[in-house]
Amino acid sequence: MSKTLPLKGIRVINLGWVWAGPVVGQTLAFLGAEVLKIESRQRLDMTRTLPPFAEGKPGPDRSLSNHACWAGNGSVSLNLKEPEARELALRLIAHSDVVVENFGPGAMERLDMGYDRLKQVKPDIILFSMPAAGLTGPLEHVRTYGLSLTSLTGLDSLVGYKGGGPIPVENAFSDPLAGIFGAFAVLAALNHRRNTGQGQHVDFSQQEAVMQMVGPAYMDYVLNGRVGGPKGNEHPLNAAAPHSVFPCRGDDRWISIAVQTDAEWEGLKSAMGDPAWAQGQAFSMLKARLANIDALHAHIAEWTAQHDDRVLAEELQRHGVAAAPVLNCGDLLTDPHYKARGTFVEVQHPLGFRETIYGAYVKMSRTPPEVRPGPYIGQDNDHAFKEVLGLSDERYRDLVERKIIY
Amino acid sequence: MTGVVAESASQARAPGVGALAGIKVLDFGQMVSAPYCAKLFSDYGADVIKVEPPGGDVARQMGPFPGDVVHPEKSGLYFINNTNKRGVTCDVSVAAGRELFMGLLRWADVLIENNLPQKMRAWNLSYAQLQAINPNLVMISITPFGQTGPYSGWNGYDLNAFHLTGTSSRYCGRPGEMPLEHGTFSADYYGAIAGATWGMAAVYGRDLVGGGQLVDVSCAEAIAATFVGGQNIGLVAQEGRFDKRTGVGMPLGAPATIVPCKDGHVWMLALERGQWDGLCKVMGDPEWASLEMFQDMFVRAQNADIMYSFINEWTAQHTKMEIMEKCQAAGCPITAVFTIAEAAEQPHLKARDYFVDIEHPDLGRVRNLGAPFKLPACPGGPVRPAPRLGQHNAEVYGRLLGLSNAELAALKGKGVI
Repeated sequence: MSKTLPLKGIRVINLGWVWAGPVVGQTLAFLGAEVLKIESRQRLDMTRTLPPFAEGKPGPDRSLSNHACWAGNGSVSLNLKEPEARELALRLIAHSDVVVENFGPGAMERLDMGYDRLKQVKPDIILFSMPAAGLTGPLEHVRTYGLSLTSLTGLDSLVGYKGGGPIPVENAFSDPLAGIFGAFAVLAALNHRRNTGQGQHVDFSQQEAVMQMVGPAYMDYVLNGRVGGPKGNEHPLNAAAPHSVFPCRGDDRWISIAVQTDAEWEGLKSAMGDPAWAQGQAFSMLKARLANIDALHAHIAEWTAQHDDRVLAEELQRHGVAAAPVLNCGDLLTDPHYKARGTFVEVQHPLGFRETIYGAYVKMSRTPPEVRPGPYIGQDNDHAFKEVLGLSDERYRDLVERKIIY
Repeated sequence: MTGVVAESASQARAPGVGALAGIKVLDFGQMVSAPYCAKLFSDYGADVIKVEPPGGDVARQMGPFPGDVVHPEKSGLYFINNTNKRGVTCDVSVAAGRELFMGLLRWADVLIENNLPQKMRAWNLSYAQLQAINPNLVMISITPFGQTGPYSGWNGYDLNAFHLTGTSSRYCGRPGEMPLEHGTFSADYYGAIAGATWGMAAVYGRDLVGGGQLVDVSCAEAIAATFVGGQNIGLVAQEGRFDKRTGVGMPLGAPATIVPCKDGHVWMLALERGQWDGLCKVMGDPEWASLEMFQDMFVRAQNADIMYSFINEWTAQHTKMEIMEKCQAAGCPITAVFTIAEAAEQPHLKARDYFVDIEHPDLGRVRNLGAPFKLPACPGGPVRPAPRLGQHNAEVYGRLLGLSNAELAALKGKGVI
C-alpha cells in the first residue's frame, strides 16, 4: 500500500457550505488533496449548530452530523465580509488548484471573487460552482432546500406507494450525491488542465446532475410518451417480479426480495417449500408474475411475516435468491457487513472527545485514505497563513485581533 | 503488440476535445451501475469499449421499448447508459474468449465492471489475476455489497443494496408501512458515481502512487455512509437511539411536505419567518394564518393537520407553476413537483441545452439527457449512440488486437464473439 495518495499536491479552497459543497471537499481530501474550507464565526454554518453534540455539550465545534459530513476538509477562518479577508482568500487561491463553491449564481462576483478575478491571481485555476439549477437559465435563481431540489428533476414524482401521490424523501439525498459527483467533475477538469494547461469555470447544476438518475423513466417518456408515477418498490422497468420489501417478524422489520431470472424464481419457490399457490399458471412465467404482482406480493408477505429478517435473508441466499434485510439506522453500526468493511470508525478529535463518523466509503487497494475527524473552526489557520502565505506572527496576531481571521 | 500501439495512437484525440481524452476504458458491465460509470468516462472524452457477452447486456432485454415490443437494439435503458462507447462481444467463459479479453485488458487503463465477485472468480478474472497481466490497471468494481465482508458472496440487485443503507427505514415511507426506494435504480446510480470519482482519482494519480489498483465500490456502503451515516451515525454511536421515517417532509418544522394542488403537487416549504410571510402574502394574507397557533415553524408543526387543511384548500385552486412562480417571487422556496413529462419539457433545461438528440440506427432520432455538468473548455455529453451488439468487433479485434478476418470468422463460428 502506498502512503502517497493519488491527489497529493493538489490544493483546494472550499467555500462550500452546508452539505453538498463540503462533501466535494471531503471526497477530494479522502483522495489525497489538501482541502482548506474557508468559513467564519461571523456567519456560522447552520450545520455546525445541529444536535447531537459530542458528549451532549453544545458548541459549534461539536456537532456530530456536521463532523461526519465535513471530515477531511481542513478549516481556515476568514470573515469574508471584510475586504482584507477576501484579499487573503485570493492569496490562498493563488497557491491553489481548485476553488469549490455552492452559493447561488452571482454570489462569487459580489465577493469580488468571480472567475475572472480568480484567473488574475491564478491563470489556470479551476472554479467549481454547484448552484441548484446552474449558473444560467430561467430558473438560475430558484430557491430550493436540498430535500426539495429533486422535485425539479422528476425524481420526487416517482416516490410513493402504488397508485398514491408522491411521498417526500425526508432528507437531501441529492446533497451527498452531488458532492461526490462534483468531485468527479473537478477531477475531469484537473485532467483537462494536465492535458492542456487550461483551467475553467465548471457549471455544475445539481438539478441536471441528479436528474441523470431519472434516465430510465425519462426514456419511457421519450419512447412511449408514458409518464411514470409511484409504484412502491416494484422494478423501475417492470422487468422483475417479485420485487419489493416484505414484512418480517418483529417491529418494523422487513426483507427486500428481487427476482429477475427463472432460476431465482425456482430458488424462491423451493425456499418457501413449494407452496401450492406458486405452482399454477398465474405465477410460472415472469410475464404472468408481473400481471399478477399484487397477489404475488401478498402471498410472499404472508410467508415472510413468519420469519426473522436476517435468518430469512441467509436462507434465501442459500437458494440463490437476491434477498437482504432492510436495515434501520440503529442496525448500521452493528451490522456484520459494515463492521467487516470498517464503514464507520471512531476517531479521536483534537478537542478531546471521541466521535463516530464514516471513513472511506469506497475501498482503494493501494491508497486507502487517512480518516480524520471533523474540522474545528480555524484548525488550519497556522498552516494556511504562516506556512502557505508566510505571514509573520505579528501580522497574523493583528489579523486575529481585528477579526479578519475569525 | 504493435497493433495496440498503432490503434492507441490513431484513437488519441486532439487535446481540448474531451476532458478525459487519452484514457482507455473497458466497460465489462451490465444494467445500470458499471455502464453508467463508464458512460461518465465516455461522455467526457475517454475511449470506452463495452464488452458484452454474446447474448448482450441484460439491459437490452429490460426496455423501455417503443410500443413495449421487446427488441435488443431498442432498449431505452441500454440506449441511455451506453452512449459514446464502442461495443464488442466476447464469451469470457471459454479460453479463446478469455484470451481476447486479456488482449483488451493490456490495452486498457481502466476496467469497469459490476459482476458479482464469485462470477468474476469463476471466469478467472479476479483483480489479482488481472493485475498480474496489467499492473497499471485501475479496476473499478461496483456491486451491491462490495468485494469483501460477509455479504460479498450474496446475490443482489439495486433494490437489495438500497434497502440495506437505512435510507428507506429512516427517510422514505409512512410509519408502519413498507419503506420505499425512489422508483429508479438509486443505489446503482449512486455507486456508479462514487466509482467514477474514486476511480478517476486512481487514474489521475496512477504514476504518483506507483501503479494501478482495485477500486471496490459497494453501492450499499456508499449510501449508508455518506447519506444516512453522515446525518445519523453520531447519534446512534453516542446515544444509542435513532429516528425513523415519518411520511412527512420535516416533522419538526412546518410547512415542509409535498401537498396536492390543482394539477398535481408542490413541495410546500415555508419555515423561516420571511418565507412564511411570503407564502401568506401570496395566499392573500388569510385570517387563519395570523392565529397564534401558526406563528412559527415549530408550533405550525404541532398544528400541522389544521394548517395543511387550510393550505390545501388554497393550493387546490392553483396550478403548480402558478404556486411556484408566485411563491419564489415572494422569497419562498416552494417548487413544483414536476412529473417526468414536465421535467423533460422544462424551458429552463432546454435553454441550457440539457437535452441532446441522437440518431440511432434502430430507434431513429431520439432525445437523450445531456451532460450532467458543463465544462466550458472541453464540453462533454452524449454524441454517438450506444453501440449495436458486436458493432465494433471487426474494428476492435482487427485493428486493436491484430486479428485477421479468418480468425474473426472462426471466433464468430464458435460463438466466442
